[in-house]
Amino acid sequence: MQKEYLGEFEELVLTMVGILQDDAYGNAIVNEIKERIGRDVNLSAVHVTLYRLEDKGYVKSGMGGATKARGGRRKRIFTVTNAGLAMLRVKKEQQIQLWKLVPQLKIVGG
Amino acid sequence: MKEIRPPQFALRFLRMFCPAELHESIEGDLVEQFEEDIVSRGLNYARFKFLLNTINFFRPGIILRNKFKADINHTYMIGNYFKVATRNILKRKLFSFINAFGLSIGISFCILIFLFIKDERSFDQFHANKKNIYRIESLIYESRWKSDQVSPYTRSAWLQLGLRDALKDELPEIQYATRFNEGSTAILRYRNKVFSEKIAYTDGDFFKMFSFKLLSGNREKLFENKLEVVITPAIALKYFGSEDPLGKVISIDNQGAKLYTVAGVMEAPPANSSFDFKILVPQENRPYYERSMKQWGSFNTPCFVQLLEKTDTANFRANLDKVVQKYMGKMLERWRKEEAIQLPIDGKLLELIFTPLSDVHLLKSVNWHKVSDPQYSYILGGIALLILVIACINYISLALTTSTTRRKEVGVRKVAGAGRNQLIYQFGFESLFLAFISMLFGVLLVLLFLPSFNQFTGKEIAIQTKEWFELLGIGLALTFFVGLFAGSYPSAFLARYQPALVLKGQFTSRLQAGFTKPLVVLQFFLSASLIVCSVIMYRQMKFIATKDLGYSKDQTLVIPTQTGWNEEANKTVERFRIRAQKESGIVSVSGTSSSFNQGYSRYGYKIKDEQKSAYVYAVDPNYLSTLGIHLSQGRNFDATIFSDTTAIIVNEALVKDMKWDDPLSEHLNWREDTVGIGAKVIGVVKDYHFLSLESAIEPMFLSIDKKNVGYLTTLLVKVEAGKVPVSLEKVRGVWKELFPDRPFDYTFLDEDVAKQYESYQHWMSITGLATGFAILISCMGLFGLAGINAVNRTKEIGIRKVLGAELPSIFILLNKQYVGLSLIAFVLAVPISWVIMGKWLESFKFSILMSWDLFAISILLGLIIALATVSYHALKTALVNPAETLKYE
Repeated sequence: MQKEYLGEFEELVLTMVGILQDDAYGNAIVNEIKERIGRDVNLSAVHVTLYRLEDKGYVKSGMGGATKARGGRRKRIFTVTNAGLAMLRVKKEQQIQLWKLVPQLKIVGG
Repeated sequence: MKEIRPPQFALRFLRMFCPAELHESIEGDLVEQFEEDIVSRGLNYARFKFLLNTINFFRPGIILRNKFKADINHTYMIGNYFKVATRNILKRKLFSFINAFGLSIGISFCILIFLFIKDERSFDQFHANKKNIYRIESLIYESRWKSDQVSPYTRSAWLQLGLRDALKDELPEIQYATRFNEGSTAILRYRNKVFSEKIAYTDGDFFKMFSFKLLSGNREKLFENKLEVVITPAIALKYFGSEDPLGKVISIDNQGAKLYTVAGVMEAPPANSSFDFKILVPQENRPYYERSMKQWGSFNTPCFVQLLEKTDTANFRANLDKVVQKYMGKMLERWRKEEAIQLPIDGKLLELIFTPLSDVHLLKSVNWHKVSDPQYSYILGGIALLILVIACINYISLALTTSTTRRKEVGVRKVAGAGRNQLIYQFGFESLFLAFISMLFGVLLVLLFLPSFNQFTGKEIAIQTKEWFELLGIGLALTFFVGLFAGSYPSAFLARYQPALVLKGQFTSRLQAGFTKPLVVLQFFLSASLIVCSVIMYRQMKFIATKDLGYSKDQTLVIPTQTGWNEEANKTVERFRIRAQKESGIVSVSGTSSSFNQGYSRYGYKIKDEQKSAYVYAVDPNYLSTLGIHLSQGRNFDATIFSDTTAIIVNEALVKDMKWDDPLSEHLNWREDTVGIGAKVIGVVKDYHFLSLESAIEPMFLSIDKKNVGYLTTLLVKVEAGKVPVSLEKVRGVWKELFPDRPFDYTFLDEDVAKQYESYQHWMSITGLATGFAILISCMGLFGLAGINAVNRTKEIGIRKVLGAELPSIFILLNKQYVGLSLIAFVLAVPISWVIMGKWLESFKFSILMSWDLFAISILLGLIIALATVSYHALKTALVNPAETLKYE
């Protein structure tokens, strides 16, 4: 596999897109991150990251339907692509493997 | 409930930089968050947060996405744009030429001005110690001559001769100090070579402070021996040829010859140096040096100091004051009492201040022979910008009026999927392309213009190899500026066409002049202002050249006696006169202490407690006749009447100043003689302009009193009209015969007088040149416009002719709008140029009046030029046989 690099924040956002499914747009992701892991993130940072992920091919986007809420403006809905899903999976595997290498006993001792 | 909306300006800001395809969703997210915030945190917080969030989006990750997308689209198309642009340029050669010509001249002017400003700013920047070098200046409260001063303080670089030593002794923060004054003339003799040269007096520290390159000699030891001289290679070559100049002994004669040893050869200072020298001689050899060292009342040399690193300049200023108190305190106190000067509170009679070396060149309030007014840079820059704007207007109006021919292209491109932005890029590219070509020509024009530009501005700018990159950079920057400035409106205009309308043929092919008319007016307004300014300048300069100055300045040679300030000078005049009487071409010979535009002396004196002053010239009895000056009362000096040696002849201005009713019975006690009654007035001359026309005719008197007034250091020789070259040779022959050991230098009096106005002449030439180009460029634009207009109306003209219109009526029909436009332009231009030229004329005490006829001439001139330009097309169209134009319908 080619050396694709996924940053920590990119991974977080990508995961959130996966979680939110059909409702994955900028604002929702900000709220979701706040709710799930209590981290305040900036809307613009999320947007920039989303576009970067799109450039890398991990997500794709399309315009959703208009709602009355946002002054009639449409949402840009992001969905995880197969490549994105694969990337997430690889990340998970890597982490689990690395985790396994950490001597667990020492921690239990506390 | 009223809908609460997020701050609109923030939204507008977002729209400005946000890529179109991302805009909606981003804005939506922002608004959504805003709405949520109102509910949870209140309106103020929501507003604030909204603003912050919007600004947060102004980041590279978003902004760069704009270009990135655009570039992807356009890289494919650039080849096509290039092709279309080339085709269009070639297809309409005349318009392309008009545009490119105007733009290249505009660009080359801008580059030239850039070089000029760069040169002005580079003055004295090459000295390694420039940060620590200062020029000391005196600030003197002047109570004496108030006639033409704005502030009672006079700031001057001229200081007492002894000040340098005093400063060095008293102030430890001064590392080096040197006096430097150039401009004395001395006679140099080496074997059989005798020439008069300008020499500069300075001190040994000069060589340690300044970074002029010493080619040979020991920098540390120079001028320790006071009979040493440092020369430039040119002087070395002139006197010693190919021999090694070091150690040669040369005689330098400034009021007494001394023998000097050449101790060093120094590279001549570059053109952008405030110091100008060829021959450097220690200050100690100045005439009357010992005496002047003790005189704290006479100011006769500039002085420069180099301070130690990290000297506190505020402290230094206070220290300078202490020096003033210690050395000049008593003298100043005496002055103040004697003259009963009322000093303002906190005012000082004399204060020493200082200016960093790098500021000296552009500090025009202190007189220095190479000082320059930073205003020149602004004026020149303004003129260059004017021409560039005129050229850009050509581009805009031509692009707009020819846009109809390209609307099909726009339509087809749009149908094929081109977006509005893409078309804007395309036309922007075209204007950039044209601007780039113009830039290349412009750079070539710079090379072509540079010699005459140097001549106009009195500079010696040369382009070094390493500067080429810089020039190219400037050229590219200008290209972008012009391309974007001139190209933006036409491209936006063109890109607006609706494809369906265009392709259906809904547009007429008539001139769409709506926006071009104000442009033409603006263009003509700029040209018209320049025309008016030129005409007024020309009139004023002509007025100066032809004004009767009250004396005759023609066919008169001005020859320095080369004797110094002594009795020998008068003998020279006498011997020359007696010998010259035998020559046929020489009309008359006279002597004076200073000829016109070669300096003057002015004396101040107190009469009945009133401070007066007058200019004083030492002359001989032949002075009036040689110069054709008329006496209005009394008689000329007579060499045979002994009492005439102390008598004076005054001018009418002095009579008026003294309020004399019968001047011939008066005495002028100008030497403030406590015993006598002063000099007897034996005659009154009619006022003549012994100063330049920039100043009024001031009180003046003539005297033949050598002891108290001066020696005849200048010969005035009037030769016969029409035989000047022959007579000049005769004068030279007589001189060589009488004074073989003195150089024969001469100038013509009329040229000396004209030199006073040299800088005005320069400015007139520059404005004239700019006007010429401005008119040329705007006429070319007008020519193009008129051409399009005529072509557009060919059919209309055909129908009119068929219906019986006469040639003149068609001619008028086609031309009247241009006449109207240029009239509007002139009406706008008149008041502006009135104000500007009023300011310019203020610098002359004697000037023409700005009357209506000057403006009428300018308007007529401009109209004729405009009409001549547009008439070609009008006539051509009017003369076409209507059958030709109508037969295809």
